[in-house]
Amino acid sequence: MCRLTILATAILSLTGTAIAHHSFAMFDQTKQTTLTGTVTAFEWTNPHAYIEIDVPDEKGTVKHWSVELGSPSILMQSGWKFKDLKHGDKVTVRISPLKDGKSGGLLVQATLPDGRVLGNGPGRGPAQPASTNAGAPNQ
Amino acid sequence: MTRYHGMLFAVLGLVLLSFIIVLPPAQSQSIASHADFNGAWGPYRGGRGADTKLTPPPASPPALKPQYAKQYEARRAAEAEANSRGEPLPNASSSCIPYGVPSMMSVAVYPIEIIQTTKQITIIAEAFSEVRRIYIGKPQMRIDDVPPGYYGRSVGRWEGDTLVIDTVGIKESVQYQRMPHSDRMHIIERMRLVAPDILQDQITIEDPVMLEKPYTYTLAYRRMPDYEMVEFVCDNNREYVDDKGVVRLRVREK
Repeated sequence: MCRLTILATAILSLTGTAIAHHSFAMFDQTKQTTLTGTVTAFEWTNPHAYIEIDVPDEKGTVKHWSVELGSPSILMQSGWKFKDLKHGDKVTVRISPLKDGKSGGLLVQATLPDGRVLGNGPGRGPAQPASTNAGAPNQ
Repeated sequence: MTRYHGMLFAVLGLVLLSFIIVLPPAQSQSIASHADFNGAWGPYRGGRGADTKLTPPPASPPALKPQYAKQYEARRAAEAEANSRGEPLPNASSSCIPYGVPSMMSVAVYPIEIIQTTKQITIIAEAFSEVRRIYIGKPQMRIDDVPPGYYGRSVGRWEGDTLVIDTVGIKESVQYQRMPHSDRMHIIERMRLVAPDILQDQITIEDPVMLEKPYTYTLAYRRMPDYEMVEFVCDNNREYVDDKGVVRLRVREK
């Protein structure tokens, strides 16, 4: 069980009173994929922020991916700023992919052009090397 | 009266006058007479570093009448099964529809902000920017006279340092944790500071039509003195419901 699921379960099981924004069941949290590519858009929006990224394969064929993040409020609690990415930036993201096979996923952690590594959860700060999954809030 | 007494009265008079002048009337009465709930509050649910004497007790499941309990359990089971398949079922929030009362009081990790005056307490939830208004000292209306909505009509009164809030008029589609309710639902909240910076809200849902007995659960919040509420406008919702009734994420081609 990954830390994302553990966190979501923990929040719900503490009192059973927290309301989840949406289920993360559409993402396969048993898998992680690393993508390196060029940002086409960084949307600092609600209910979720998104990184749109063009990812070339070994032959140079480009595939586009949509990566879901937490909301701006939650991202700020883990060190993100709205100008951290812009069109044209090179970025590496680790994601849990969509189960339906489409080219989308839930962010686990991102390595920004300046070298910072950011997670996807409240108060979790940058993901540490020992961590395999930065986790995300139950939202 | 001696000259000493005269000076003493003059000084006391000046001190009293300064209190009247310095504080605006609404706030002075609110803070002087009652607990001060003003400010931003984040969820306080326990976990590392939390004081277990101040965290809320675990909630029990609601005691629905048998015919409604069966329906409720079936829906929850279907939801769990759909999640395990990776095909979540839609709910109001997958369409960016607000949560309403009482769900808006405990959305994930989002804070609430309380603005307290003598006549009205306003609660703003950061998630979806939901707003509820609690009219202090006003009588509640008959349920049948309140148009059903997301927030209903809330009135409040102070019992010592506890704010007692009475809400009616929540429409049946606005549900807490998918729990069904009738148009007779009545919500009573008892909000109080259990420590200088910890606020608890004990929420009791009464529904003589669907519940065997009132359902009570408690929320706790920690004061966030320097927090600035973040705007939340749901203008980039990429979730959609496909023709099989499954929530999907819309991805872009480029």
